[in-house]
Amino acid sequence: MKNLLKSRNTGLVLVLIILLIVARVVTPGMFTVGSMISMLQNNTVYALLAVGEMMVILTGGIDISIASQLAFVGITTTVLSTANPGVPGIVWVLVGILLGAVCGMINGALVGYLHMVPMICTLGTMYIFRGLAFVVSGGQWWFAADYLDSYRFWAITKIAGIPLLVWFTIIIMILAGLFLGYTAPGRRIYAIGTSRESSAVAGVKEPAVTFYAFVICGALSGFSGMMYTANYAIGYYGMAESFEMTAIAICVLGGVSITGGKGRMDGVAIGALIMAVVVYFISMIPGMSVWQKALQGGIIIVAVAINYFTERSAEKQALKERGALI
Amino acid sequence: MPGSNYDRDLTVKEGFNLKKFLVRWEMILVYILVLLNLILIVFRTDLYFQAGTVQSIINSGLDVSPLVLGMVFILLLGDIDVSVAAQMILGGTVTGLVIDPSMGLVPMEAPPSVGVIILAVALGIVSCMICGAFNGICVAYLKMPAVITTISTSMLFRGIVEIILGENSLKNFPSWYGNIGWYNIGGILPLSMLLFLIMGAIFIFILHRTTFGRKVYIVGNNPTCATYSGISVTGVKMQVFILMGFMAGIESIFFIGRMGGGVSSSMGTGYEMTAIACAVLGGVSTNGGKGKMYGPIIATFIMAFLTYTLGLLGVDPNTKKIFTGVILIVTILISTINRQMIKDIKLRLLYHSNKNIEAIHDRTAEAVKEMKAQIKELQKGNASDKAAQIKKLEDKIAAAQKECEEKSAQWWAEQQADAKKAKERFAK
Repeated sequence: MKNLLKSRNTGLVLVLIILLIVARVVTPGMFTVGSMISMLQNNTVYALLAVGEMMVILTGGIDISIASQLAFVGITTTVLSTANPGVPGIVWVLVGILLGAVCGMINGALVGYLHMVPMICTLGTMYIFRGLAFVVSGGQWWFAADYLDSYRFWAITKIAGIPLLVWFTIIIMILAGLFLGYTAPGRRIYAIGTSRESSAVAGVKEPAVTFYAFVICGALSGFSGMMYTANYAIGYYGMAESFEMTAIAICVLGGVSITGGKGRMDGVAIGALIMAVVVYFISMIPGMSVWQKALQGGIIIVAVAINYFTERSAEKQALKERGALI
Repeated sequence: MPGSNYDRDLTVKEGFNLKKFLVRWEMILVYILVLLNLILIVFRTDLYFQAGTVQSIINSGLDVSPLVLGMVFILLLGDIDVSVAAQMILGGTVTGLVIDPSMGLVPMEAPPSVGVIILAVALGIVSCMICGAFNGICVAYLKMPAVITTISTSMLFRGIVEIILGENSLKNFPSWYGNIGWYNIGGILPLSMLLFLIMGAIFIFILHRTTFGRKVYIVGNNPTCATYSGISVTGVKMQVFILMGFMAGIESIFFIGRMGGGVSSSMGTGYEMTAIACAVLGGVSTNGGKGKMYGPIIATFIMAFLTYTLGLLGVDPNTKKIFTGVILIVTILISTINRQMIKDIKLRLLYHSNKNIEAIHDRTAEAVKEMKAQIKELQKGNASDKAAQIKKLEDKIAAAQKECEEKSAQWWAEQQADAKKAKERFAK
């Protein structure tokens, strides 16, 4: 019980509940099961990106090219699927994941093996992928009429009233949580994020771990790119601009330390829900849509500051306890 | 007092070295700039020598220039600031709002008076400096990572502009704004270039000739060391972030002038990336503490010519992004290739990751080098048993090389045997 009170997630859940109550009071007409499901469906892309981003942030890096990867992969699968109408839709899901993984490999090789600064490296690849998205699209836009039903099937088919896209996200989150918490490769991601030196001494190959963290991140952005186009049935080279910011915001909200090594999947899941509620209900209140960007920026700053202060006080507490022992 | 520690000669002995000067990074940048010009001259001879072409290239590239100068300082600290474009839009918005007739300071249908314009520009710059100070407080005093702070403040600042302006845009800027973006003095010298060079000279002076500049280097290299040397790290960081805000305020004048005197919330995205790219291309390390002011100034011109050349060759503006990204990555990769990296690759490929083999190779190479130098000296002189001595040394070299080969072969065999044994043990 004491642990539950102390845990950061309890606070997050409280914030979520308060937000939902506020939303219920402010927009009573919107508060239905249907609108909840559409809220989830429209915000799961952020959650998928946040899961990938989390892997990279846990290693102590950052990936700001994920939105560009999303656009590049989404455009490519769109172009390919409209050109080959006979191919079953699942192929495009797999192609999306693979293409995204290749994008992630480029980032991973540059950061892991060639020791580039993650921020600068992904800044460069952000440009490159966005440019490639334009080259592939040729400046064209795709709308609902251009998309095939087989392509959209994997995102919008409803099972038990909930779209497949949301099911996929839930499954991926559970898998990612298990991977990070209970497998050796997952623990290695935490290890190099906490301390590169000591993990190297313990025999963890830092370049390889960074590499696969980026590859997972890329694969998830590729998957969300395919799902984004399938869900909204729209595609153009400038889509998903600055989604990486929202993904980073979700991670930070969920308690992932930006310096690496700290953060759990359940926190990120709750963070994604909070962000979904904020984004969805702000867009519902008339006249509030211009506030969205400023609010998101403010939320990240406050969340980072809170993370920092709780971490520092925890460290101080630990030092005190150690001092008492000696 | 001879032998005392106190009369050491600390003056720099090394004079001007032409060979070293010619391969400095700044000189390489100059070569690239000349090369780009040559490409333009060869492929578009008629256009290049037309009046106004070069001027318009320089004008078009320099609308990002004040940001580059400030960004060098930020990168030298080992930090990064991606909120500069949002700051500049916020500064422009403040200036525009003060001048706007709807605010009541300026009468309708009449040009604003000089006093109001000065007030407006000053308020714009001050608002940018406040933004910079906000970043500075977060980074220096609260010790938050610069990346995430500036990412979120860039959303915050741009969001504030969005709240103020919504979908509208401000258009009521004084006419001299446009001159900064477009005017050429006497039809030859672009005004923006003149201003940029003056600012560049001031910044070179600040960075390389004042104590503040030296403090920036020390803080970037090693903050702990700086603290123990009595430098206030937070103070220096704060000053640099406010300086960056000031430059963002100046940049808002350049930018709005270039854009034809209008500002809206969605303008100028990606300017922070171009500024960082210019600074990094100019040889400033993103880890902090390394780099000079000259390189980024030349790199800004390179970017201008590069963008224009690509445009002339029929490359679409969106496709140009690919080139910008590739240039950014390749330049950083080039700067990371150093002796240590070559040594690591050699160790892995030639010496089978065995440090002993590497060590004996290094030692033998050194010994052989020394003996070869001795042989050369002997050949110059005229000792009586010259031939015999040379023969002796040559034999020694051959023996050393043979020993080295034998030893490394033996160690490599041992390593393989060990690996095999380990494998067998794990197989059980």
